[in-house]
Amino acid sequence: MPKRKLHPLPAAAFQILLSLVGEDLHGYGIMRQVAAQTDGRMRLGPGTLYSSIQTLLEGKFIEEVDVREDANLGQERRRYYRLTVAGRKLARSEAERLAGLLRVARTKKVLRGEYV
Amino acid sequence: MSEKIYAWLLRLYPSRFRETYGDEALQLFRDRARDERGFFPQLRLWSDLIGDLANSLPGEYLHIQPGVVGASAQPRFAGIPSFFFVREELPRPGALLFGCMMSLLTLTAIWGSLNSAGNYRAVRRLASRQSPGPSTSTQQPLPQLRPMDAAATMPAVTENGKLDTAEKQRVINGAINNLKRHYVYPDAAQKTAESLLVHEMNGDDDPITDGAAFARLLTSQMRDASDDMHLEVVYSEAPLPEHPSGPTAEDLERYRQAMEQGNCTFEKVEILPHNIGYLKLNSFPDPSVCEATARAAMNRLNDVDAIIFDLRDNRGGEPDMVMLMAAYLFDHPEYMYNPRENTTERSWTRSPVPGNRLADKPAFLLTSRSTASGAEHFSYDLKMLKRATLVGETTAGAAHSGVWHRIDEHFGMGITETKPINPFSKTDWAIVGVEPDVTVKAADALKTAQKLAVRRLQKR
Repeated sequence: MPKRKLHPLPAAAFQILLSLVGEDLHGYGIMRQVAAQTDGRMRLGPGTLYSSIQTLLEGKFIEEVDVREDANLGQERRRYYRLTVAGRKLARSEAERLAGLLRVARTKKVLRGEYV
Repeated sequence: MSEKIYAWLLRLYPSRFRETYGDEALQLFRDRARDERGFFPQLRLWSDLIGDLANSLPGEYLHIQPGVVGASAQPRFAGIPSFFFVREELPRPGALLFGCMMSLLTLTAIWGSLNSAGNYRAVRRLASRQSPGPSTSTQQPLPQLRPMDAAATMPAVTENGKLDTAEKQRVINGAINNLKRHYVYPDAAQKTAESLLVHEMNGDDDPITDGAAFARLLTSQMRDASDDMHLEVVYSEAPLPEHPSGPTAEDLERYRQAMEQGNCTFEKVEILPHNIGYLKLNSFPDPSVCEATARAAMNRLNDVDAIIFDLRDNRGGEPDMVMLMAAYLFDHPEYMYNPRENTTERSWTRSPVPGNRLADKPAFLLTSRSTASGAEHFSYDLKMLKRATLVGETTAGAAHSGVWHRIDEHFGMGITETKPINPFSKTDWAIVGVEPDVTVKAADALKTAQKLAVRRLQKR
């Protein structure tokens, strides 16, 4: 049975890692944060969201912290996720890879602007 | 309501995913549904969900891994296999129901296909009910059953399928009685009967113990004595019914449906280059069902300059349809010889057909070794009348014009009881078939006929 792959890192997994930088979030929180940081272009559905979360958990790039209520969203208890050190490293290496790509794009005049 | 729909959709995911994240997925749905109100946001929500389902579902099933719930308690050593227990899941009630439905559907489909195969046999029997095909036990329509003879009550075959002398004697006596009683030529009947007895006394029949071989031997003895190719004895392994019933209303309805579905076996009605009409007709179906189809086909070809009838796959059918089709090729009533029927007014075509323009157009018939019975009736007469050019192979030679008489449970015979006038020759197509005017392989017949037609049209 093939294992889930994180190499290359899927866009959804990368966005989830980014959304968890700085704060712990529950599923819906992650979804909203991802939508905000992509200007609404990426709205993660439950299937994609939780299968990505499962993959990241298996790789120990994120971890479950606790189960509690979100004061803004009523009485329901929600599972919160937190970025691990490995997760932060993974996000950084992906960002660097993208930055490298961006540099190539600029030297080839595909994209204008400053070097990153 | 919409939450219920989504909960139902979630059931499409593997059980492990549902157990771990099912509640959260549903919770996320509730959150979004609460926050995104209004027609367009709801529309966007559902399009997101459907897209998400399509994206993530295959992945979930691809990565499904059974959880390990137990392992061997023994320590593991290199090279020694150890055993793990994977978690077993009870199928969901829905899955069980689905399985039941699929099994039922499959069984119904198998039953249906078996049943329709049965119908096919019925249709075959029906289609040949006036023109029996090769004399096998499944194709013995011949409804004109005559009173049985004394021998009819005695089985002629022993348990192991071998014939003994007494049984052979009974079959021969039955055949002789039938000949004397029913054969249309009394002198020949006497001569044939004597010949059968002489053969028996000479011990010619002794070495034979097989039913089919015995039937063939008697057939050849009768044909030698009478010079009549329509006399035959037939052996049937399956018991022959004492009073074969005619087709039932249900049989007729099935026949009608089969004919309607198959366009009455008018497989192709086309106009080929040089304005040559081409009709591929695979039987001569019952006009009471197929007259309209036949007339429509002929009307479509009414303006062609030459016509080709493709009878290579035609194994016969109803004499009435033979006469109906032939009527288009004449501008006056024409006598068509049919060894099965006494000469009556039905022996003349009902020509001219109003509005028909084919009466003086060159006609070609394509024949093969499979062209049989009614198709040979059509071919033989049109050839003898020099109305059509036959292209292809010598036909099957299936006249089977005798009237059926049951001798006993396994033997029956065909006896000529009609005396139609054959104005063309002493013999017809029985056994020998109809020879084509131009002999080519059946596969090349169409091409050859087209060339001949073009040449004929250029000469005009």
